Amino acid sequence: MLNNISNREMDRRLILKGAAAGGLGIAGATMLAGCAPGDAASAGPVAFGARTVDENPTKQLQALVAAYTAKTGNEVTYNATESNAFQNNLSQYLQGTPDDCFQWMAGFRMQFFAAQGLLVDVSDVWSEIGSQYNESYKIASTGLDGKQYFVPQSWYPWGLHFRKSMMAEVGLNPDDIYNWDDFMGALEELKAKGLIGFIGVDKGGWEAMGTFDILNARINGYQFHVDLLAGREKWTDDRVKEVFRHWEMLLPYMNTNVLDLEWDGGRDMLLARQGGFFMMGSWFGADFKSVSDADYEDLWVIPFPEINPDHARDTIDAPIDGFCVAANGANNAGGKDLIKFAGDMEGVQAMLDTGVPMTSANNGQDTSTYDAFQTQQLAVMNEAKYITQFLDRDTRPDFAGPVVGPALQGWFKDPSSTNAMLESLQSQWDALPPLA
Amino acid sequence: MTTETTAPSTPRRRRFFSKSDKITLGFFIGVPTFLHVALVWFPALATMYLSFTYWTGIDISKIQWAGLANYENIFFNTPIFWDAMRVNTVWLLWFFFIATPLGILLAYQIDREIRGHKFYQSAYYLPVVLSLAVTGIIWNFLLRPDGFVNGLLGLPTSQAISFFGDDRYNIWVIMIMASWRHIGYIMLLYLAGLKAVDAALREAATIDGATEWQTFRKVVFPAMRPVNIIVLVITIIESLRAFDMVYIIYGSSGGLPILGVLVFNNIAGEGASMKGAAYAVILFLLTIVPIIAYLRQQFREDVK
Repeated sequence: MLNNISNREMDRRLILKGAAAGGLGIAGATMLAGCAPGDAASAGPVAFGARTVDENPTKQLQALVAAYTAKTGNEVTYNATESNAFQNNLSQYLQGTPDDCFQWMAGFRMQFFAAQGLLVDVSDVWSEIGSQYNESYKIASTGLDGKQYFVPQSWYPWGLHFRKSMMAEVGLNPDDIYNWDDFMGALEELKAKGLIGFIGVDKGGWEAMGTFDILNARINGYQFHVDLLAGREKWTDDRVKEVFRHWEMLLPYMNTNVLDLEWDGGRDMLLARQGGFFMMGSWFGADFKSVSDADYEDLWVIPFPEINPDHARDTIDAPIDGFCVAANGANNAGGKDLIKFAGDMEGVQAMLDTGVPMTSANNGQDTSTYDAFQTQQLAVMNEAKYITQFLDRDTRPDFAGPVVGPALQGWFKDPSSTNAMLESLQSQWDALPPLA
Repeated sequence: MTTETTAPSTPRRRRFFSKSDKITLGFFIGVPTFLHVALVWFPALATMYLSFTYWTGIDISKIQWAGLANYENIFFNTPIFWDAMRVNTVWLLWFFFIATPLGILLAYQIDREIRGHKFYQSAYYLPVVLSLAVTGIIWNFLLRPDGFVNGLLGLPTSQAISFFGDDRYNIWVIMIMASWRHIGYIMLLYLAGLKAVDAALREAATIDGATEWQTFRKVVFPAMRPVNIIVLVITIIESLRAFDMVYIIYGSSGGLPILGVLVFNNIAGEGASMKGAAYAVILFLLTIVPIIAYLRQQFREDVK
């Protein structure tokens, strides 16, 4: 949070100025969009926009860019922005003078910008490198008009993370945890040892969405979950109440300062052996490896337990990160060329060679080269039949962040407010403006 | 129908401007006016207009008239708006009844030149020099779960006191953080005012046998009216437009909802909707209406 304040400091003199300047920014950017250049013919120098300033991903991306330059001789300008700031700025960025290609996410969030004409159709890139990807990745890269706008980089599953050594200490065998009762039993044992069973974090407003997704998918199934997020089912449905009834059962095993911890606070609790299970995306494995190999080898992930036997463990949140080409970029052809390289095994290999653990979307990454934790991620992934992205990638952006986020935070403050919260969620969904 | 011209009237203008004067004046008035209109009035009016529309911030041709829908949505369908109103109201009341009077008290004490007043003056003023963002960082460092205070208490992250997350503490923690700076600001403003009060007034009051409190209330305070107005206006503005410190600590999530963050949260990013513009207009009205009402009343009294 600290990184992204510098470029959005509000003016202190006039009360409205801050808001008004925001308005001007949007309007100004839109005007600029009208006179942005079309596309240049040659591959030429390319600008690349990274949506991360973290150490490990930066290492990967810079290796990718360096390999591209070495191969083609095209110079690449590498521009990095902290990820929250990047997301907050994306509309203006894409309408202004964006980098030629940039890092982004698959699914709804890509489709939204593709539908606004801000992304370049990369179907031709797919016809060249598409054979290196499974069909499911192609679907996730496809816009509402049936064309591809995205090239995948990597994926990670959301699952229950824990330290093998900790489970051994308390005499638990995680392989025995298949369903909800097993899981509650394990939590009880951790609690008896004076440990936090289930690490809860939600200061950022998005972390708990992962727990909501998986509870809803486990209890009500994939189809209901997807329909709910698309507005075809109601939040006031008794089936959604059931989700919160189960969540309430987890509360006694959770830390009470959920709203004071961001995702990295949970990671640190796991590192410090203060908590047992952590429901999160597996990407943070790289951070464990940065601390020490021993910590990384101790880290493990299993699918969230079965609750409703009808749905077993058939659904998983496995967000895909990757690259897009910005329509207003100066060099569309160059941007395409770079993301083609990034999607091709050659580029993937350059990222893998950095030694930072990554589960690539490319079939060419030999799964026999996976380390134990990556192999387990794949196993967790393979158990699922249905893949979802994540709540804030599967529903309208003006609903996920500004509405669902605070609602879940409010629920942690007062878990007895389930019914009122769900009614409010539904009425806020109904009040959303029509999609343009 | 008369063609007869009237006698040439005596020139009304007392001053004549040469051509270069006019150019200079035009330049000095024109440029700032242009900038002011372009950078303040245009965006402000555009924001007001946009608050009556649906728009995602992309492609100006897609702006759709929405009437009062955004406002209806905020007032009737958005519980977080009322939470934010509650927090901003507490903020205002806290500043009005606690922080501002404390600042005035400090100013008064320092003005009486108690021992070490120079030191106190600098010490209290110091936080004002720091931007609210820096204030946020400092306090975040002290109070976060793995921060200094929880460390002193010997609490691991899992059991740390939730200073920012728990509703029992968070608003008061933020109030103390904000006051830390606000008190020094008010103190300095007031101190400047107090220095300008004629010492003879005080002396006269003392001779008449007024107590310290009576002197302040009946003599000094009324004599300070212009400063009082400024202090009041600043108190209202500061508490309603609060943004930076809360944003630094909570990001744009709803951890502690305030109007300033709601504006940002709804207008920035992929979730951009003109609900953010509507929040901005509401915030603007909340701030400007009481101030205008107060100032009008004051000026009317002055005329009498």
